[in-house]
Amino acid sequence: MTTPATGFFTDTSVCIGCKACEVACKQWNQLPADGDFFSGRSYDNTIHLEATTWRHVAFVERQERLSGQSTARPFSWLLMSDVCKHCERAGCLEACPTGAIVRTEFDTVYVQPDVCNGCGYCVVCCPFGVINRREDDGRAWKCTLCYDRQKGGIEPACAKACPTDSITFGKLDDLKEMARNRLQELHRRGVTEAWLYGMSERDQPGTEGLHAFFLLLDRPEAYNLPPDPSVPTKGVMGSWGVMALAAAGMAAAALAAAHSRGGDRK
Amino acid sequence: MILAQSRLHVGREMSPELALQTGEGAGQRVKHPEPDAGGIVPLWREVPSRYTAPGYYGLALLKEPVWIWSVPSYFYIGGVAGGSAMLAAALHGKKRLRRLASWCRLLAFAGTTVGPALLTYDLGKMSRFLNMLRVFRPSSPMSIGSWSLAGTGMMATLFLLQGDRSGAVTRYGTAVGGLLVAGYTGVLLGNTANPLWRERRLLLPLLFMSSAAASTAGVLQMMPLDKREEKVVQRFGLVGKAGEAASMVAMQRNDSTVPEVAAAAREGKGGMLWTAAKAALVSGILVELLPVRSPLKRKVSGALTTLGAICLRFALLEAGKAAAREPQATIALERGRMRR
Repeated sequence: MTTPATGFFTDTSVCIGCKACEVACKQWNQLPADGDFFSGRSYDNTIHLEATTWRHVAFVERQERLSGQSTARPFSWLLMSDVCKHCERAGCLEACPTGAIVRTEFDTVYVQPDVCNGCGYCVVCCPFGVINRREDDGRAWKCTLCYDRQKGGIEPACAKACPTDSITFGKLDDLKEMARNRLQELHRRGVTEAWLYGMSERDQPGTEGLHAFFLLLDRPEAYNLPPDPSVPTKGVMGSWGVMALAAAGMAAAALAAAHSRGGDRK
Repeated sequence: MILAQSRLHVGREMSPELALQTGEGAGQRVKHPEPDAGGIVPLWREVPSRYTAPGYYGLALLKEPVWIWSVPSYFYIGGVAGGSAMLAAALHGKKRLRRLASWCRLLAFAGTTVGPALLTYDLGKMSRFLNMLRVFRPSSPMSIGSWSLAGTGMMATLFLLQGDRSGAVTRYGTAVGGLLVAGYTGVLLGNTANPLWRERRLLLPLLFMSSAAASTAGVLQMMPLDKREEKVVQRFGLVGKAGEAASMVAMQRNDSTVPEVAAAAREGKGGMLWTAAKAALVSGILVELLPVRSPLKRKVSGALTTLGAICLRFALLEAGKAAAREPQATIALERGRMRR
């Protein structure tokens, strides 16, 4: 039996920054609070995705207009609900030495909390800076794409709560179709800045496509997304090759030193 | 107060009597319900909406490595273990170097015993350290490293017990395992999303391997040695030290192709440790090349090499943290890659 791959399409052009997704995620997954503080960065006091924060709404205040908008001063809001991308080639999964991080039947990337031993390697291997180890818990945590809800046949909490359907959950193929149509419509309406981030392998060869992809209205770095993320293992054979050469060098040095006759005579 | 009754519910404002604790994150333990937010974000260094550089208010794009002091310490000790395992195997059967060979075997054994303990100490769940050997995942250098370390530990133990009477399997096993243990850490750091480590991924294995030889020689130089032993250690060490110095120079040149990455490597603690590592390494080589023969000279040179090798491992971790904190390093690196 094969289950079709599922994912998120996040259309930032209709995000209103209500943070309902953040709240729904915290509540459904029973995640601990992060403490109260004001970041001073627009309305974004969540700051980033974390072990305890699996949805994060970014607030970008831009001193320029968006096509099709008329404002007194050149200004526009860019809002985006960020989430784990559930990459086709996932850095965290390929790095995990314990097999705690697995790909589920929905083709999503899932950390099994009863296996993770908190080695912290996934943290440095995620090119999006999503997964993190919680200090007092000791294990790595990230979005599960509501594995428990999906198993029950219902959509993830954030998508359910999103009042504008900026977050859409569905079968990956349907989502891609929907994203292409939405992009076409926006372009037709004159919003030429709109583009799709990481939808397919062609868009993002480094990750071979994301299972949670985005429609963005500016360059990725405006939203704190990497412009060309790549799974670290894509270059690892070169490193192993260099290591093999260096190992041969060390072996030769050891043998040469051991067999040197120079020290034999006084 | 119902809320404070169980540790599981701290920071969640949920009554354990009313709410079922079955959520995916319900098992996440909380000791500090209000983490120190000041540590995450420097507040109001500039008016955030005036932030003009490409990026998101200068906030970190990647996560910093969470590893503590025990990991770079292991990098050093694993290097010594690997280097001495190789040297022990190479010295086998040399009658006049029996004492040196037995020290090497002891170092290999001690390093592969202390090393896993240090790594376990860094784990978030220490009791689950055996999960490292739960699967073999060839895509993960850490998985390959864990298996190598475990295997080399066994081999080095056998080698220590069998001593001069050890068979070829033990010797070759220890040598090959030692080489893996000495070098895989370089591959491990290079195989990450960290802009600094990733940029250096072809040089890191070379650095770790040569520094392993240098570190081994550094430790041995601090021990009492006769002339013949000294010669062997010196030859092995000089190759390592030269390789280490060359890799460090190559890394600096490599960094400079992306100025933002180079800046992160120079900044703060990481930069200071890197400079210290360079200074100690160079002075270690200079002392060694002095045209005098004395045990003191040898020991000073060994101590300087050791100091340099330890600083180097900590420098790599600290610089990696700085590079992860600086979003421009990632952005500039990837934009550069896209233009290529």
